[in-house]
Amino acid sequence: MASLAATFGRGAMTNGWVDIKNADVVFVMGGNPAENHPCGFKWAIEARKTRNAKIVAVDPRFTRTAAVADLYSPIRAGTDIAYLNGIIRYAIEKDRFHADYVKAHTNAGYVIGEKYGFTEGLFTGWDTEKGAYDKAAWAYEADAKSKGYVVDETLQNPRCVFQLLKAHVDRYTPEMVSRICGVPAETFVKVAEMVTSTGTAAKVGTILYALGWTQHSTGVQIIRTAAMLQLLLGNVGRPGGGVNALRGHSNIQGATDMGGNTEILPGYLKVPVPAQTNLKEYLEAVTPTTLNKVAWASMNYWQNYPKFMTSLLKALWGAKATKENDFGYAWLPKIDGLYTWTHMFDDMYRGTSKRVGGTEAGPEGLISFGMNPVGTGPNTPKMVAALSKLKWLVMVENVENETAQFWKAPKEYGGADPAKIATEVWLLPAALFAEKDGSFTNSARWAQWKWKALDPPGKAKPDAEILARIVLAVKDLYRKEGGVFPEPVLNLSWSYTNPVSPDQSEVLKEVSGKALADIPDPKDKTKVLKAAGQQLDGFGQLQDDGSTLCGNWLYGGCFTEAGNLTQRRNNADPLGLGMFHQWAFSWPANRRVMYNRASADKDGVPWDATRAGIKWNGEKWVGDVPDIKPDSKPGEFGAFIMNPEGVGRLFAPALNDGPFPEHYEAVEAPVANPLHPKVSANPASKKFASDKDLPYATPDKFPVVCTTYRLTEHFHYWTQHNPKLNMIQPDFFFEIPEEYAKELGVANRGKITVSNPRGSITAMAMVTKRLKPMKVDGKNVWQIGMPIHWGFAGNPGHTGPLANFLTPSAIDPNTWTPEFKAFLVKVEKA
Amino acid sequence: MSKVVRQIGFDEGAYVAREKEDVVVGNEIIRHRLSSRVIHWAVADTFFACLFTGLPIWTPVFGWMATLVGGMSVCRLVHPWFGLAFALSSLVMAVHWWTEMEMTKEERGWVGPKLLEYLSDRANHDKIGKYNGGQKVYFFTSKLGALGLLVSGVVMWYATSFPAWARQVAFLLHNFSFILFTVSLVFHIYLAAVAEPGTFNSMTRGTVSKAWARIHHPKWYRELMGLEK
Amino acid sequence: MSVQNTLEVVRSSAQVWGSGSGLRSLPTVSKLVDTSTCIGCKACEVACQEWNDLKAVATANDGDYQTLKTLDAEFWNLIRFDEQEVDGGIKWLMRKDQCMHCAEPGCLEACPAPGALVQYANGIVDVNPAQCIGCGYCETGCPFDVPHFSAKTGKMGKCTLCVDRVSVGLEPACIKACPTGCLHFGTKEQMVAMGNQRVSALKAAGFAQAALYDPMGVGGTGVVTVLAFGDHPEWYGGLPKAPRIPMAVTFWKKWLRPIGFLAIFGAIVGAFGHHLYHGNKGQVDPGPVGPDEKG
Repeated sequence: MASLAATFGRGAMTNGWVDIKNADVVFVMGGNPAENHPCGFKWAIEARKTRNAKIVAVDPRFTRTAAVADLYSPIRAGTDIAYLNGIIRYAIEKDRFHADYVKAHTNAGYVIGEKYGFTEGLFTGWDTEKGAYDKAAWAYEADAKSKGYVVDETLQNPRCVFQLLKAHVDRYTPEMVSRICGVPAETFVKVAEMVTSTGTAAKVGTILYALGWTQHSTGVQIIRTAAMLQLLLGNVGRPGGGVNALRGHSNIQGATDMGGNTEILPGYLKVPVPAQTNLKEYLEAVTPTTLNKVAWASMNYWQNYPKFMTSLLKALWGAKATKENDFGYAWLPKIDGLYTWTHMFDDMYRGTSKRVGGTEAGPEGLISFGMNPVGTGPNTPKMVAALSKLKWLVMVENVENETAQFWKAPKEYGGADPAKIATEVWLLPAALFAEKDGSFTNSARWAQWKWKALDPPGKAKPDAEILARIVLAVKDLYRKEGGVFPEPVLNLSWSYTNPVSPDQSEVLKEVSGKALADIPDPKDKTKVLKAAGQQLDGFGQLQDDGSTLCGNWLYGGCFTEAGNLTQRRNNADPLGLGMFHQWAFSWPANRRVMYNRASADKDGVPWDATRAGIKWNGEKWVGDVPDIKPDSKPGEFGAFIMNPEGVGRLFAPALNDGPFPEHYEAVEAPVANPLHPKVSANPASKKFASDKDLPYATPDKFPVVCTTYRLTEHFHYWTQHNPKLNMIQPDFFFEIPEEYAKELGVANRGKITVSNPRGSITAMAMVTKRLKPMKVDGKNVWQIGMPIHWGFAGNPGHTGPLANFLTPSAIDPNTWTPEFKAFLVKVEKA
Repeated sequence: MSKVVRQIGFDEGAYVAREKEDVVVGNEIIRHRLSSRVIHWAVADTFFACLFTGLPIWTPVFGWMATLVGGMSVCRLVHPWFGLAFALSSLVMAVHWWTEMEMTKEERGWVGPKLLEYLSDRANHDKIGKYNGGQKVYFFTSKLGALGLLVSGVVMWYATSFPAWARQVAFLLHNFSFILFTVSLVFHIYLAAVAEPGTFNSMTRGTVSKAWARIHHPKWYRELMGLEK
Repeated sequence: MSVQNTLEVVRSSAQVWGSGSGLRSLPTVSKLVDTSTCIGCKACEVACQEWNDLKAVATANDGDYQTLKTLDAEFWNLIRFDEQEVDGGIKWLMRKDQCMHCAEPGCLEACPAPGALVQYANGIVDVNPAQCIGCGYCETGCPFDVPHFSAKTGKMGKCTLCVDRVSVGLEPACIKACPTGCLHFGTKEQMVAMGNQRVSALKAAGFAQAALYDPMGVGGTGVVTVLAFGDHPEWYGGLPKAPRIPMAVTFWKKWLRPIGFLAIFGAIVGAFGHHLYHGNKGQVDPGPVGPDEKG
């Protein structure tokens, strides 16, 4: 999501599931929605049925999505940037991009400072010692006169983004794409032609992707490339367009929105760092200033950051948060380094957090809610060893998963003698999703209420109740025994009717926001907009003086005086575009397509009248909920209101590994990077380096590319506990190409051993025509794949190897996502 | 012929027939010893058991028969087992009678015109031994039928273990064999139980009269009476 | 399933005389399976098991994605997966397999147990386990290898087209569960129309050989299937090109049975006639028989 935020301003699916039906081309890459999102994929099918849309699938395997696609292209795992840069080059070379859109809504004309450059695989600003870039080297050329930046609307300036991009992608010819990705050049051209057919006002294309892009050491930059391609083709903000991240869980979007990452607070507000000692310093550091006020101003919606933050602090500490005490800012934890869970496990394993500059020992205990790190973490033996070093582990789970019983992991999966593991393990039974009330936020940012269907079994309790009981117990202990820094705990506002098991509607009300004092109407100060105690209508009413409370500004207005809007189930669709504004609540502000200002040209006339997102009727914007000030005239503000520039970024100086995406090989790759063999892998990518992480596999000993994926029949590491799902997909397997099986002398269902320095798995080979041999940089390369889902927990007869036994702990430098999708192994007949 | 003396009314013929056949006892000749008769009736009884449990499955017209044994499910359950018993009895019968059923070249003619001659009382019986050509033909027909029923029956019994074509062939074969067997059986019963008085006795008590033997199986009669070597 | 009393039975297995009043009529219902939009997710498989209260059957990965090799007495809905190479490219063809609810059902034709298989006025072919004798003849009668006999229960089991749902106005469970809209349910007429529309769309998209599979050899089916490669139905998990009720079954019922009747009764009548005409054989004592006697 970091890449979408860096390009468009917000890190979420731009459009929505239903909106896929408005597309002319559905470009699926880095995902397999037919397999993993079958219910959402119906809209791709719908697009084909009703508007004769084309479905294009690019994947190392011929997938279930490929099975119903109009065009399929193979690709070597981990080479997506080369492929996409190839398409960008094709679009520019053949003039198959939407020029008017690019000029109106992107930073194509922005002139980049002299410091920026790119040679031999490295951007300027590389610091070899730190192993990181100095991003200041990529800054826009400042314009002293306008206090903004130099923009060349003709796109002719050789230092403008468009010309730099053109030069950057020039190396990605179809032949080079073929050489890197292993795809026949003519197949690539067919795909490029089909995808770029939407580079006009009359046509729109969408991109669907999932973890096949995310889980790479270049993951964020892959998605960046796609976002740039969509900007070039003029497909962002338009119904039927966008870059659509298909989330892997029913509520993963909601979890991220609510601050489910260590570096963010609810609503993507930033977790403060130690240097920001008071609220003022913090707000100054994180609130962006508006850029380029002259040519094309930005609403720079983030300038409202102080309102969001103050309202959040009021939600946290209630009456205890006052102007005098910085609304309790001091009680927030400050983060002094990286605490993503891959880092946490590294700390646990090494027994120290020195990595972040501290001197203290590593964590001594872990509370895990709805997570199974032994299954989902890379390099299983390291995960098991890390947990073995803990004093205690609390698992809150529906089933006794691998992590809950890590101490009995079989030896071959890195398990030690259970008698030697001193970790005390608690398994708290949690209610399943259908056993409790609450809301899910789907990929399309729809917060949808769901009602409890049945009681949880036995003593199982909803997560919220388990959390609440812990909170109350800890508060009680502090009250009785005192302790270091008691304020954050004792001052935490907990004003629910039933404090032991808070009603989720009350929590949602708090998330949505309410007035704590009378809020005057900004247009007429004598009138009261909202009386004290009333629910707010949206984040536009939030204040920075402590007179409003809001748990998550993005969800502002999801529970108003009219009631719980996430419970709405009216499927009226007056626009005919599948927006359903009265169905549930879509953040932000019930907007269904983000950046919808870009669906119209400079003057507010929709690019395509049949698929108008919003249009200017002379007085205001009508259609979808406008992603712009509703009464701001065309030309007043840019379409990408969350970006300080107000436009979409073809050139993004925000990411850690470069302003333009460049093809880097996976950390474990079968060939050196044909473009720049000396800088083969992503230089900014991080690798863990404990004894359990090293050595990484090299192609001389481990020549086969391996990838992992999910199966439609199962869900993560849960469903091996369900007999019906075990029935339809009973066993672990490796998928291997027919030709390779012949070479190995293995028949279908024969046993093979797949190994690398981290471990080895012996299992059944599924011999298939759906994987093909490929030529990469003149070398024959085999690709194989294996599904996740199996482990040593599960119903008898349906346990199996953990796929992550073989995956490396190399991570993306922006999101710290492990590289699950491309690594090296060797294969032998067992 | 040794005479066994027992009490008055003692059935000497039946007594001798327990163990011997092809011997003259007074005015009677023992035609089928006890073991032969038991085998015959084993085959006959198991066949009828199959018939009554099979006909309702063959056609609903005989559905009423199923009621006699407790319904269609019982039919389906016991029919294959009766069939197996029938096949085994038939096998024993085949072994038991095999040597006596050797057919001369002349007797093979009974398959066609000779049978008609016989039925229309125009046949020359003079050379007929213990079994005439028609009986031998019936013997082989019934054994062939039994074999057909057994093979096809096993396939139908374990239908799921056989490919579709085998099941289809079995359907036809079971039908054919059954029809062939039953048609010849009608004549067998008619001739033995109705049309030739004195014959039925040979399969119950085991004996026939000398006169019967002289009419129907003259050569056999002459041999037993020592009139012909 | 037991037989639905609310629906008119128009055909019943092993009846001497016709089995339905023929007075009531209903539109024939049908499923549409559009293989060109099937993603093989198997939601229908699980929905079928769940709605019909069938337990999970034991399976083992057979080197492909298919749950079982064939349908089973306890598994009525199976997605068949087939890999075909066409013009140098690969096609992964998936087809939902279940009872086809033939207009002229071979299972019903072959079934010897009265009322064990019935066809309702709306075309659904249903099983009545109370009448089923578990002979397995239906397996031989079916050209699609649908009905299967359960060794555990001694009964045949197959898709009932969710007759319990359909008879109260609901769609079958598989249709309800299908996420992509590859499955539809309605009257046969509607489904054929919808199917033909998909076929035209496929033809326009370059599949000149696309066709709607509704084989007339069995009088048409209650499941019509859209095939992009209509000239190769066998590519879709062995869908027969021209299915018919096996000759053995029809020959038995239509020919062998009457012939057998005639032969057996003919024999009885013949024997009786013989007796009327000829009387007993061997009534007259031919006198002493000597070695010189000529017969």
